[in-house]
Amino acid sequence: MIAPARLKALLATFLILLALRFSLPELSHADIVPPEKLHPVAESYRRSVFILNLNPVVWKEVWSDMDRIASHLSGVDAAAAKKFREEIAAARRIAQPAGEEPDMVKARKQGSRAAFNAATRAVASTLAAHIKKAGAASDRETVRKHLEESRKIFLSFAEALPYIDPSAWREMQIGWLTAFSSLGTPGVLGAGARPMNVRKIRAEIEPIAEYFRKNFVASAMPMGKGRLLPRPAASPTYVKNARIPARLPPGANINKQLPRPRQLLGMAERGANESETGLIALGDMAFDSAEIFGEPARSLRISCNTCHNKGVTNPNFFIPGLSRRKGGMDVSNSFFEEHANNGIFGHLDTPDLRGIRFTAPYGRNGRTASLREFVRNVIVLEFNGSEPDPMLLDGMVAYMNEFEFIPNPKLKRSGRLNQKKASAAELRGEKIFYRKFPQLMGGMSCASCHIPSDHFLDRKSHNLGSAGGFAPGSLDGAFDTPTLLSAKYTAPYFHDGSLPTLRAVNEWFNRRFGLGLTKKQIDDLTAYVEAVGEGVDSYEDTMFTLDAELEEFSFFLSTYEFLKAKGKKELIMITLKTVATEIQGHKWDVQDQKLLPVLNKMESLIREAAALHAEGKTAELDAKLAAYRAVYGKYAAVLK
Amino acid sequence: MRFVARIVILTALLAGMIAAPATARAAAKEQAPLRIAFIPYENPEQLIDNVRPAVRFLEKRLDRKIKFFITLSYSSAVEALNAGKADISFMSPLPYILANKQTGAEAILGEIYRGKSYYQAKIFVRKDSGIKTLADLKGKSIAYVDPISSSGFMYPHDVFIRAGLAKGGLGKPEGGFFRRVYFAGGDEQAIRSVFGGFVDAAGVSEYSINLLKQKERDELMPLATSLRIPSHGVVASKRLDPEVRRRFVEAMLELNKPENRKYLRYLYGTEGYIQVNHGTYKPVADMARKYGFLKK
Repeated sequence: MIAPARLKALLATFLILLALRFSLPELSHADIVPPEKLHPVAESYRRSVFILNLNPVVWKEVWSDMDRIASHLSGVDAAAAKKFREEIAAARRIAQPAGEEPDMVKARKQGSRAAFNAATRAVASTLAAHIKKAGAASDRETVRKHLEESRKIFLSFAEALPYIDPSAWREMQIGWLTAFSSLGTPGVLGAGARPMNVRKIRAEIEPIAEYFRKNFVASAMPMGKGRLLPRPAASPTYVKNARIPARLPPGANINKQLPRPRQLLGMAERGANESETGLIALGDMAFDSAEIFGEPARSLRISCNTCHNKGVTNPNFFIPGLSRRKGGMDVSNSFFEEHANNGIFGHLDTPDLRGIRFTAPYGRNGRTASLREFVRNVIVLEFNGSEPDPMLLDGMVAYMNEFEFIPNPKLKRSGRLNQKKASAAELRGEKIFYRKFPQLMGGMSCASCHIPSDHFLDRKSHNLGSAGGFAPGSLDGAFDTPTLLSAKYTAPYFHDGSLPTLRAVNEWFNRRFGLGLTKKQIDDLTAYVEAVGEGVDSYEDTMFTLDAELEEFSFFLSTYEFLKAKGKKELIMITLKTVATEIQGHKWDVQDQKLLPVLNKMESLIREAAALHAEGKTAELDAKLAAYRAVYGKYAAVLK
Repeated sequence: MRFVARIVILTALLAGMIAAPATARAAAKEQAPLRIAFIPYENPEQLIDNVRPAVRFLEKRLDRKIKFFITLSYSSAVEALNAGKADISFMSPLPYILANKQTGAEAILGEIYRGKSYYQAKIFVRKDSGIKTLADLKGKSIAYVDPISSSGFMYPHDVFIRAGLAKGGLGKPEGGFFRRVYFAGGDEQAIRSVFGGFVDAAGVSEYSINLLKQKERDELMPLATSLRIPSHGVVASKRLDPEVRRRFVEAMLELNKPENRKYLRYLYGTEGYIQVNHGTYKPVADMARKYGFLKK
């Protein structure tokens, strides 16, 4: 029997726990993959190998990574570090030759190989040097320190060796486990202590050092004709034709932003339900689907939604070697679609897709009039997808055409500021916005291109001098006028994301065209542009998204009957695979982990449905989907 | 019962929260800084940046400078408490029990994580391994985290003892059941060892699976769950002035208020704190004695 006072106390703490549980702004999000914590050497090696395999190679990033590898190596083997620096200097002379009209393809390929070989040798030497130091030490702390360093550096090779020499990899992993287990423990002030077995540690780690010395330091590695990979040619268990899965390099971030931007779909805002608008639901599914892309995007689970999160942007998106800065990348690159690569490192900032039906033409330089054609090119040319079914493209366009700008009560329908809601600075800024400057493209104003009554754009391209051309005097720098609506939330700015704030944009115009605006006038103009770019509730107010995601998957599946009636078998398969992958990606978000088996069941029902669809067993497939819907219906209220 | 006792204390404390008078605050400001040790569950360099905002919050609340440092291990944190170099330390359950025995340091606060004041260890195996029960692991290998770890050895080891499969303790981790026991040196290394198929099972904290990518997690399954382990917490040196200790607890509990919760994520991503005492960790001490970590 619990006393009343205790009962009261029990209730009080229960309420505290409950409050903590449900009002905390941030809990773990399983769909957010934390960056892999790598040793600086492993990070630099893996990143530089990724970049060295690209065309073009962003050499600046490679040299900076080589420098990090050299710095660490010099701490354990000064002579090897000196040699490595000389090799890198030589690789640099090959890769970036001086003189007239060098063969740049040859330079890139030979320079990449030279840098790769030198780096592989240097990393293997670093690893072997740490192992040697661990083996030579007798006090536990020094042994542990070098063991940890060497095991972390060992992971430099984790992208290739588990696949091209799996048995050696496994043996070495067991070696690490044995070595670490043999460290024993000092316990806590002696309590719980276990002795260290130095002899056993040496016996386990010396063969690992030998493997790396033999394969990567002493031997002349085969260059190979294709991808640059650390190939253990001296190992008898080396599998030459192994398939190595695609991976992004350390430093890459393709996680979606949190909190999520608020997405407004026109039909939903007007009360229509996506489950009754099949084509739009199909487009929504395709927008979230990596299945419509080819490799490597598909394996990496990259979809339209990765960069245009909730139809907006993803300010965190970054892939070393492909992105110059966060929020975009070079979309015609050799990684996602080698054959459509244009050979130029041309970073493009990801545009916001809100109000896209008003913002034609498409592409930062406004090269494509049709949204449908643009979407097709993204799928096929940028991300190596197969030619999409016409209905899939129709769906994607139908879905994207529903993307609305977020409401902005500060603006009237004419695009003019609502005087009652705008501040004095914003109103002063509006006047500057409409002022014609003789210096600005022959007497234009900001409003000449960003026409307030027409969504703050003019659907034209202009060459403002924001990008250098291919040659002095060339005119290839015109870009499409972007809308200013919702712009407050889509930093950075300009086609290449080179300007971090709206104020920086205004300063750029002031400088570039000699507008003569004072600091105060820039303040006012910035206040105005920010007011135009504002919106109500631009981000979702919850960090918990599982219930919304599951509801969305029901919308995706609502297309099944419609696709079946139209005989669209491939689109049904894409839908099923997408839903299964999405459940797998989001199920770990469930806050009550006891419900994980329910989500596992839902995932397996969809995977089974996909298998039945592949076998053409329609009746069984229908039953599977009915079972999925029943499970979801039963648990929808608690799956959060 | 233990839980109820903790609740009574917590409620009394919350009800009795009174701000220190201004004169006392002025006096405290002149005192030596409060020294707090953090154990690097994460990358130590990252942890320094991580804890700073929370430390600043505590300095403000206590009106006293805080000197904090990241220790190399739990063992160095306990040494710091013992040598009078730290007043407070963040700590996990088994090292705390050993620290209490050796230095008299006492648990004062426990973490809330995922809405719970406890966590559990799990035995994970690969789904495709054919291993369906604990008994199937006979003669096979397992990776734990560290010998002095609650969720990373003692509790998962206890799972096999309670199942009547092994007879062990710290001195005999194989317990006449496993062919080989490894201490991988970290949760991630242990869970990755079973994921990679280098060992047949891993005995780790239930949250270790989150260290894998989502796709990878599906390749593992839990075979068994340990008894509940009281959550990680905060311990105070026995030398710490009781008034300072009281105010520190008070300041930490203020982190539970909605307006202060933003600082919690800097403290190991916890969700909040509750007041605890040594009794909270009695089951850990009992088990530590049973398996030879503590002398009986």
